[in-house]
Amino acid sequence: MNVFKKLFKIFGPVLIAALLLFIFLISPFGVKNISQTTIQKAALSQSPNVFKGTAVKEAAMSQNYVPFFGSSELSRMDALHPSVLAQKYHRDYRPFLLGSPGTQSLTHYWGMQGIRKQLTNKKAVFIISPQWFVKKGVDPNAFSFYYSNLETVEWLRQAGNTRMDRYAASRLLTMPSASSSETLEKCILKVAAGQQLSSTEKTYLDLKYNMLKHEDQMFSMLTLKDKRSLIETGEKQLPDTYNTAKLNKIAENLGKANTTNNRFNVDNNFWNKRLKKSYQKLRNEQSNFSYIKSVEYSDFELVLNQFAKQNTNVLFIIPPINQKWADYTGLSMNMIHQFNRKIKYQLNSQGFNNVVDLSDDGSSPYFMQDTIHLGWKGWLKVDQYVNPFLSKKQKAPNYKINNYFYTKNWQQKENISLD
Amino acid sequence: MPNIQPYQNPTYFLILGVALLPIMIGMLFGKKLHWYQTLISFAFLVLTFGGVKWEQGIALIGYIVFEVCLIGLYHLYRKKKNATWVFCSAVILAIIPLVIVKVTPAFENGQVALIGFLGISYLTFKVVQMIMEIRDGIIKEFKPWLVLQFLLFFPTISSGPIDRYRRFVKDYNKIVTRDKYLNLLDKAVWYIFLGFLYKFILAYYFGSRLQPMVAQLALSHGGMSWWVVAYTYVYSMHLFFDFAGYSLFAVGISYIMGIETPMNFNRPFKAHNIKDFWNRWHMTLSFWFRDYIYMRLVFFIMKNKLIKSRITIANLGYLTLFLIMGFWHGVTWYYIVYGLFHACAIILCDAWLRFKKKHQARIPSNKFTEGLAIFITFNTVCFSFLIFSGFLNVLFFHGTLN
Repeated sequence: MNVFKKLFKIFGPVLIAALLLFIFLISPFGVKNISQTTIQKAALSQSPNVFKGTAVKEAAMSQNYVPFFGSSELSRMDALHPSVLAQKYHRDYRPFLLGSPGTQSLTHYWGMQGIRKQLTNKKAVFIISPQWFVKKGVDPNAFSFYYSNLETVEWLRQAGNTRMDRYAASRLLTMPSASSSETLEKCILKVAAGQQLSSTEKTYLDLKYNMLKHEDQMFSMLTLKDKRSLIETGEKQLPDTYNTAKLNKIAENLGKANTTNNRFNVDNNFWNKRLKKSYQKLRNEQSNFSYIKSVEYSDFELVLNQFAKQNTNVLFIIPPINQKWADYTGLSMNMIHQFNRKIKYQLNSQGFNNVVDLSDDGSSPYFMQDTIHLGWKGWLKVDQYVNPFLSKKQKAPNYKINNYFYTKNWQQKENISLD
Repeated sequence: MPNIQPYQNPTYFLILGVALLPIMIGMLFGKKLHWYQTLISFAFLVLTFGGVKWEQGIALIGYIVFEVCLIGLYHLYRKKKNATWVFCSAVILAIIPLVIVKVTPAFENGQVALIGFLGISYLTFKVVQMIMEIRDGIIKEFKPWLVLQFLLFFPTISSGPIDRYRRFVKDYNKIVTRDKYLNLLDKAVWYIFLGFLYKFILAYYFGSRLQPMVAQLALSHGGMSWWVVAYTYVYSMHLFFDFAGYSLFAVGISYIMGIETPMNFNRPFKAHNIKDFWNRWHMTLSFWFRDYIYMRLVFFIMKNKLIKSRITIANLGYLTLFLIMGFWHGVTWYYIVYGLFHACAIILCDAWLRFKKKHQARIPSNKFTEGLAIFITFNTVCFSFLIFSGFLNVLFFHGTLN
């Protein structure tokens, strides 16, 4: 056999593979159609692949899907969950659930990068968990779990010398995820220092963007958790027409039926799996918990700043804490009220006026599905605000971002009064 | 200055591919570009031991100067005399840096020794082997340049396979025919791509996806649970695919450079017994231990008639070999227990094989017994890897990951 033939036999497949890889990953061509089924599944899946990617989110939000930012409460899919109500009563909107256990402000800020366009002049719902506001904010491991370089590349391609971008960069640098790529880390460092990216770096980002984008298009939808049956089960438990009194009764009955094995009005399954064995150790365990001084306040400012930049009209929801559980674990209500005042000050003073504070509802039975997560009656109450907000036309927001909220001073501030 | 660890990412392979191109073309035309090979070897060493790892680079230079001088001096001495104590001192001196590196973390609260660098173990194996063969009189000449080429051969520097000096030098000097070289290239590409599958897909999946998950579940359950069993197999798969993948890269790249570095793995999980397993798992290491520790100890005992029973001699040999291997992995209880476990397993295995031979007529041997043997061996090995992983240490004594 001649040498070239033999060489081709050896290296041909390698070259062809490299070429195919180039065509599929680095070249700007090749967009995959995303089916309605995929979008439906993705909107409910809460899967990290969907969260980290952009393809499905973009596709869904250019239709009638509205992002519901939050965390673990979003997975409490009982019959009164926003996704069930929207589908059952054929609302104009469908929730796209963004968040699962461990997602916090910083995670959401990065998750928003791929859908900036889709957020512009649109509406969104954002559920704030007081539990995020611990001293050091988001756990680096949890952050890594929902982080992707795609988001960072999207962000770097438009980042400038603004307080928001510098703060975001410096926060990202404290996470292990920032060092996943040397070139990206260098770019992030430059943004943190308020420097311009070089043209080589910009070209690199463009190529990397194509690559990651295609990777996302091809792989992020491969293994979606299908939770549609949960929604259908929920739908079957609801009356055909929307009637608040009737729904309230159903929520009450469901709550009663599912909280029979403990004295805290906590869902039976949650109790068996998470608390039964350990609850005795938890008595008074939260008496020195505080959500007042936290870096999370500035991380949250990033989210607000992004919403303001995109002129997104956002409904914020502050859920309560199960009162019985809070009493048992010794969580200070005084502290919770302080937290509420602080977060509301941050929202209201910058023009975010659609804030639903449910913190006084923690003692209402079946409002919470377990210790800190909204459930049956809680979801119904949320719907009383969400539905009109999303179904009716709203006044355009007028936001005034204040960089003070990025400072340590604000993070550490106590005793805020609302007037 | 950038720093890339060997075979760490696609970038490394890309740079490597470009750098090796002139060597390939040269080899196809029957030319060995030794000067160029030295140049890129140096460049890749700088890439691995430079930049943020410069301290390791200094340590490597110091180590190499020391060991090459030692080999040279011993060679000089050996030409005239052959006292046992000088030989022993030379071996002890050769392994002192490695001993310091291995012992420091145990006594300094996990701190790493300053004189350590990536691959010090594998270099030490090569040096000890040379000293022993100089004593045997098989290595007759001392050529510092070739010794350097052998020790610092960059494709295998970080984790083997452990080559032999005489074999390496033969390949280094030999001109390969075009047909033979094309065959080598063919194998090289196959090994490297198999390595990709092993290291970047399978080892990644087992090691970075499954392992943290089962580890977390096992820890949150606490004590013994099925999750520990799951961890055992997941870790074993990770260990194999990671190391086998790495070894395939090293062998593949060596082939491209015209050096036929020996293979490190030969389907280890198909082994019929522990002895068979060690002939298939990390082969260059187990053969090194066999040739330079086990055999030498056995000969020493027999020559001096210290013990009569051949069986006792063999068992003592195994015990010594695996204990040293355990200590070599690191001075922690689980590495040492791992060594003892394998020593016991192989002693038992030997006893069983003797028993089987005696009662050949009455012990069945068929497809089923073969399957059973493979099954038992596989599980024994996986259990030993659970010990080796140190996970039990975390589970029993710490309860959390870091």
